[in-house]
Parts: sequence; structure tokens; C-alpha cells
Amino acid sequence: MDRSQLGFDQNVSGAEDDFPSLLRRKGLLGPVALGPMTQTATQQQTWQSTEATTILAFKFTGGVLVAGDRRATAGNTVVYDRADKVLEIDRHSIMAIAGVPATAWEMARVLEHSLEYFRRTQLQEMTVDGKVRALSKLLRDNFGFVMQGIGVVVPIFATYDGNSKPEARLYFYDAMGAQFEATDYAATGSGSPAVRGILYYENTWGAKPLHNLSEQEAVSLALRALDTAAESDTATAGVDRSGKVYPVIKIVSREGITTLPEGKIAVVFKEMVA
Amino acid sequence: MIEEPYRWVEAIANRREYIEGQLAPGSPIAALGYREGILFVTLGQTRQKLFEIYDRIAMGAIGHPGDIERLRMAAIELASTEGFTRSAADVSLRRLAHYSLSPVMKTAFEQVYGPPYLARMLFAEVGVHPEDDLFLRVEYDGEIASNGATYARARQDFAVLSGTRQSVELMETFLKSEHKPDASFETAVNSALDAWSVGHMLLQASETNELPARDAIAQHRQEQLAIAAIEAAVLERDGSRPIRYRSLADKELRSIITQ
Repeated sequence: MDRSQLGFDQNVSGAEDDFPSLLRRKGLLGPVALGPMTQTATQQQTWQSTEATTILAFKFTGGVLVAGDRRATAGNTVVYDRADKVLEIDRHSIMAIAGVPATAWEMARVLEHSLEYFRRTQLQEMTVDGKVRALSKLLRDNFGFVMQGIGVVVPIFATYDGNSKPEARLYFYDAMGAQFEATDYAATGSGSPAVRGILYYENTWGAKPLHNLSEQEAVSLALRALDTAAESDTATAGVDRSGKVYPVIKIVSREGITTLPEGKIAVVFKEMVA
Repeated sequence: MIEEPYRWVEAIANRREYIEGQLAPGSPIAALGYREGILFVTLGQTRQKLFEIYDRIAMGAIGHPGDIERLRMAAIELASTEGFTRSAADVSLRRLAHYSLSPVMKTAFEQVYGPPYLARMLFAEVGVHPEDDLFLRVEYDGEIASNGATYARARQDFAVLSGTRQSVELMETFLKSEHKPDASFETAVNSALDAWSVGHMLLQASETNELPARDAIAQHRQEQLAIAAIEAAVLERDGSRPIRYRSLADKELRSIITQ
């Protein structure tokens, strides 16, 4: 912190120097890896998506429900069966991750600290658009690593917009950082095709559209969908009936984030799913 | 000319006098540890003077807005990068002030060709118990005063900041007799406003060295509250809250003020 570092341009609005670039300046975050890497003839393999997990999110009467299974895999091996892939970023935002855990958790950590840094330096909350964009930028900065076959992350971002038109918002991303706002539901990870099918079916021809589901109906649908994904996708754990490991389910609403206790999920599972 | 030691001392003395003069009209700030946290209170018409620095750290400052802003940014940057690489619990106010801010401010102050920081800051870090609360006052020359016990006095559960030394001393004398660390929020707000009034009265009548009478304090407080807005913030002691710093609206406080 010598005086020259407190120069003029960095203090005008703080926007010039966001938290990731502050970390890079101090050598605490890896460089931006943009652009295609030079590939030799032996490295001609194309990029394979390896987001081995299932994450789903949909809007219901109580806000947005975000659920993720808890399996972490490396190739064909199950590494961990209690991974938490649904991460709280701030009081009203959740980032759920599919992809390489090391990169994803680091990204979530950077995002979490970026939002706090912004709030403290700029003396105001970042808008939802700003948060969505901040995550998009992190993904784009990481794309070089994705092209090298390491570090792909495909997240879902759920938040509550308390501003002009208060409502829950749901976004999904691709690995390059393009963001898409979902009107009803989103799913990511290797088990997502099955889940997307279920959510589309339920939303269109089910007893009622997703946004009219009660909390209990929403939880049971999430559990059923994850169990279905696990049926065909080895990288998704679904519900571990013998080990009593349940998916992580969180709800974003006006009041903030609620993490459903395992006991409550177990009851719904027993009554409506098992 | 500054190469001669005597000239340097003279230049520093002039500079000190100039800065003291610039800081003298600054509205006092009182920070009080109470049962549920730490409360910062000041009165003012215009600029924001209380800021969140990190999870458990807040700052109040008087001085030039540009300098306050640079120091605030530096403090947030240091705390944020430390909190990111290690953990939020590893960010410590003691290290932030002693190892980072103080040396920079001292250097700036003593390099007589460069501009000094025209700012005086009051930092507080909320602890698990009231006796863990840390208050540090960092001066424009890098000097640090803490609330810890010294040979001359016992540990204090409060700290103050004001434009002049007499004003600071009398605010401290006042709070020493008025404030208890297990005070409720309401009591703390009222003690803080009284302490502010004591400090503010001293700024306007600097020749006195006596603590004003009770009714004089009450009257001054009432007069000032009628024309100025209360700026206040708390750092909550409860660690389960996602954000511990909370600024309090003027309206919120008016209802609990005793006349």
C-alpha cells in the first residue's frame, strides 16, 4: 500500500478495478486465460464436456428452488458423496455449479468476495444485472482453461431482485460465459437432459405449472427429478437411500435464502418419492 | 533548506499546526461497545462519515473527503484480499492499522515535499464479548491510540474522535463515568449523543477545560438535533448474521432518544 498504488484512476469509481483485477494485481488470482491455446498435433482432441453432476432450479410459489445432488466424481470413480454444489453467494443469491470443483468453488469464492467488495467500496448493493454480469466475466476469463480441457464450469445463478419489479430471477450460463434468463426452470450437468425433460413435461402437461407449485410439491418434484437423473447418469447420486444422503435444496425468496434441513427433505422423500 | 535538521523539525511543526487547524472543526464521533455490539454515532449535515471496512470492522473519519476516501479504499482492499486468501476471521484490525495504515501515514506526513493525509480515523473491531472489542484511533501522522489498558488508565469500552485534543479528552472523561460495557442499545445511543454534545461544545468554546453541566449538555444536544441529522451505525456482536455492519436511519433513532 504505497502511495503510488492509491493513484487517481483506481479510485474514481472503483469500477475500473473490480475485485478479480485487484486480486490479480496482488498475484492472488491466476491470469486471464482467453483465446485458443496453441495445439500440437497430438492434442487434437476436441473439448469434452465433463460437468458430471445434476443441478436443477425452477420457480415456484415461494421463489426459486435450487437443488443439486451430492456426488463428486473423477472419471469413473466416486470421490465424495457429500459435496455441496449449491453455494450461497450473498443474502439473496445462489450459484449452483456443475463442472470441475476446484475451479467452480474458487469462482464462487471470487464472486462472493467481489459482491462484498463492491458493496463496501461503492456503498451500495450491486444490482442483479451487475451480479449476473460479474459471473459471466469470471466464466469468460476462465475459458482458456476450458479449451485446454481443464476447468470447465457451467453454473446456474438464482437470485431475488428486490428493486423496481421485485421477483425471483433465474439464469443459466454456458461455459463461455453467455447468460440466459430462464422463465421457468433451468438444469445443468451431465444428468440435466433427463431433468430438463421432466421439468418441461411437468410445466406443460403436469397437474399445474411449476410456478404454481407449493413448497412441498416443489421439493418432491426436485427429488423425483434428481432420482430420475441418477437412474441413467452414473455421475449423479440422486438420493442415497441406504446412506441417507439427500440432495442439497435451497430456496431463494424475498426474505433471503433458506436451506431445507435434511430431516424435512427426508420426510417429503418418504411420503412422496420413495 | 529542508536538509538541515532544524529546518525539517520546523517544517514538520508547521505542517502539524496546519493539519490540526484543518481538522479542528470536524464533528466528533463516538464509538461505544454495548451488549449486542458496537455503536458509532455522529451528527452532521452533509457528508457520510461512517463506513463498513470488513466483516467485523468499521470506520469513522474526519478530514478531507479525498484523503478519507483513499484511506478507506486502502483499508478495504487490504482487508478484502486478506479475507479472500485466508478467511474473514484472519482479518485483524490491529495488523491493518499497525502494519499497513500507520507506516504509510507516517511516511506521507514526514516527507515534507509531498502531501500528508488530512484525516483522522476511528476504527472499531467487534469481538465475541464486549471485553474483546478493539478501538483504534489513527492520526494523520500515523500515531495510534487504542482503548487498551495503559499504565495511566484502565481499559475503555469506547473510543472517540474529534477536532481537538481537549474535545477528545472531555468526551472520554464524560464516557468514563457515563458508559458501561453492558449497556443496552437505547442507553448507548443516548450516552453517545451526550458525548457528542460534550465534544461539540468544546469545539465551539475551546478555552474551557471543564466538563459542561448536565442541563447545558442536554440543551446543546436538543439544539443540535433540531438542525442536524444523526448518522449512526452498528457492528453486531451476533456472528450468525450475514452482514454485521448496519447503518441506522435518522428516523430509527429519533424515537428512542430521551429528552
